[in-house]
Amino acid sequence: MYRRSAVLALSVGLGLLGAAYGSIGSLASATTTRSATTTASKPAPGGRLTPATDTKTSASVSLAGAGANSINPFFEKVFYLYHQANAKTTITYSPAGSSVGISDIEQGTVDFGDTEIPMAKKDLAKAPGTVLQVPVDLGGVAISYNLPGVAGGLRLDGPTLAGIFAGTITNWDSPQIAKVTGDHNLPNLAIVPVHRADSSGPGYDLYAYLIKTSPAWVAQVGSKPSKTWPLPNIGVGEQLNSGVATYISQKQGAIGYVEFGYALQARFTNAALENKSGSFVVPSRGSIGQAGLQAKGLSSSKFSIIYEPGPETYPLANFSWTLLYQKQSNQAKGIALGKLFDWVVTTGQKYASTLGYAPLPPDVVSLSRHTLLELQTAKGGPLFSS
Amino acid sequence: MTTLTGGAGIASIKDAVRLRHERPGGRAYAGLRWGAAGLFVAVLLGLVVSVAIDSSQALAHSGIGFLWSGTWNPAANQYGAGILVLGTVVTTSVAMVIVVPVGLGMAAFLSELAPRWLAGSLSTAIDLLAAVPSIVVGLWALLVLSPLFGNHVEPFLKSIPVLEWFFHGYAFGPSILLASVVLAVMTLPTVVALSRTALSGVAMADREAAMALGATRWQIVREVVFPGARSGIAAALTLAVGRALGESIAVAMVIGNSPAVPHSLIAPGATLGSAIVNQFAEAAPGIGTSSVIALAGVLLVLTVAVNAGGHALLRGMGPRRAAGDGAVR
Repeated sequence: MYRRSAVLALSVGLGLLGAAYGSIGSLASATTTRSATTTASKPAPGGRLTPATDTKTSASVSLAGAGANSINPFFEKVFYLYHQANAKTTITYSPAGSSVGISDIEQGTVDFGDTEIPMAKKDLAKAPGTVLQVPVDLGGVAISYNLPGVAGGLRLDGPTLAGIFAGTITNWDSPQIAKVTGDHNLPNLAIVPVHRADSSGPGYDLYAYLIKTSPAWVAQVGSKPSKTWPLPNIGVGEQLNSGVATYISQKQGAIGYVEFGYALQARFTNAALENKSGSFVVPSRGSIGQAGLQAKGLSSSKFSIIYEPGPETYPLANFSWTLLYQKQSNQAKGIALGKLFDWVVTTGQKYASTLGYAPLPPDVVSLSRHTLLELQTAKGGPLFSS
Repeated sequence: MTTLTGGAGIASIKDAVRLRHERPGGRAYAGLRWGAAGLFVAVLLGLVVSVAIDSSQALAHSGIGFLWSGTWNPAANQYGAGILVLGTVVTTSVAMVIVVPVGLGMAAFLSELAPRWLAGSLSTAIDLLAAVPSIVVGLWALLVLSPLFGNHVEPFLKSIPVLEWFFHGYAFGPSILLASVVLAVMTLPTVVALSRTALSGVAMADREAAMALGATRWQIVREVVFPGARSGIAAALTLAVGRALGESIAVAMVIGNSPAVPHSLIAPGATLGSAIVNQFAEAAPGIGTSSVIALAGVLLVLTVAVNAGGHALLRGMGPRRAAGDGAVR
């Protein structure tokens, strides 16, 4: 879910430099425009929400969004395909980060935002209107490592992983690792833990997992997870998924956390992590999908699917949330937004798998579509009828 | 025959000047000059004022201790610029330790020793190097230098007995040393190009005089050319230090981003610029964002101080003062 290409990383980085000297948010937007190069020949896919009032849909609509960069590969793909099929809707998305997504929607500078961690009550209070939060994709975080001669099969539990990232377990031949993983022939090699130097969704997920599984971790860094890595002085900090992945592939003995789609592309070996049932599970589309199925009564305030039970449930997974104002003052835009995200959470999900995400489970699709039905006109009338 | 008084001449010149100013083109040009100067001052003031306002929340939260407090850990809501200032000063200093001898040596070679054809093509190459964007240098360092340093250079430096004090601990690859090398690569072209121009500017007559007194080539360079070009060289170094202090992206890519006390040059570190790059996008609204802007303020002050110091140094030297008393010993 947090995959980014190196080029994107660079453009965001450059944007940040600009932003450091300019105003917040607006300069940080390394906006990419999706536009069709060929004439649309396919019939309009998805689009099952019906507008409540009959409006002329002949006008062109352009929608601007900003937010999490982890979801960008997925958004790039589906927005492009949607525009191919619906040439009158143009979508731009600026992957400047979840916090930018939240602040831009609060300030009303975008038509939609996106965030890895849903907006909290205090953030919602800052917005001038009611904000709807719609889950749009499901992804996972891999614990990848570079250990010569160890092709796979490394198993880790929370306390061991916490020890590695806190710098108390420093060598691969440590008895603690041997005990958990059942392999007593690991090489005598220094462990180099790699963390994200920037704030990140994967960092938040791992932080939350360690809080749930390791009392020593809680004693050291507290019990409230954050996107900023709590122990920046241990090991090496690298920028973005691409930086962490580059370092892991360069350095023998390195271990770090990257978005699963990224680990998939880099062909990393990933550790099997212990979940709440005591099973050790490696990340895959299936095991991340299983984590999604554990989401009972999912809502924007009860969003965590970290450390769930189940024989095949991967314990490091999360949803990404799109942010929309409930009242849409521009009716054409409101209808376009509703139709777009209805398509993204239904037909669009089939493009998730190839990019390292898992399709949304049916319950969540239903939650997303019900949330989209709450979209209103400026006067408070329903925008769609089911 | 007629005595043309000086007074009349001056008056007519004054008239001419007045006339020129009253012509529409002259007035427009004057307006343009004042406008441009005013705009520049307004932009600078706006920058300073907005940084000051936006960072006030951070200073209120952390107090004046923000400037020297050693802990930078946004996850724990602890913000202090001390370690980052230290990291910035250390990386820049190490970079200058590399740049000053290498850069001045190259400049002297190009200006005094190299045959004309070689000097020309080398100068062009150096100018091209100066135009390489920092992100490109950063990528190269990340993909090529970082594994080279981690697997070969840093273990080698560690193994040398005397240098051990500077280079000890685990060889990560990304480190203060690697960041300094990157800064050196980026500032070297500036130093070489500007110093070479300054060295070439020393009058040929001065060199000939020294030569006539029997000075060797080395004595001429050391006693005549370098003293004569002192102010130009100082300006080049000031520019280089300014750029090294502020460089952010490339440093963030190779320094390892660990805001710890730099106990070893091969340990990961952090600078003001790298911290701004890493933290700004997702800084917590309020104190987090304000603290990052405060870092920008500290960096601004540091850079201005270096520039002001450089200017003071230049004024103290005066233009080519030493060339006049170029006594050859």
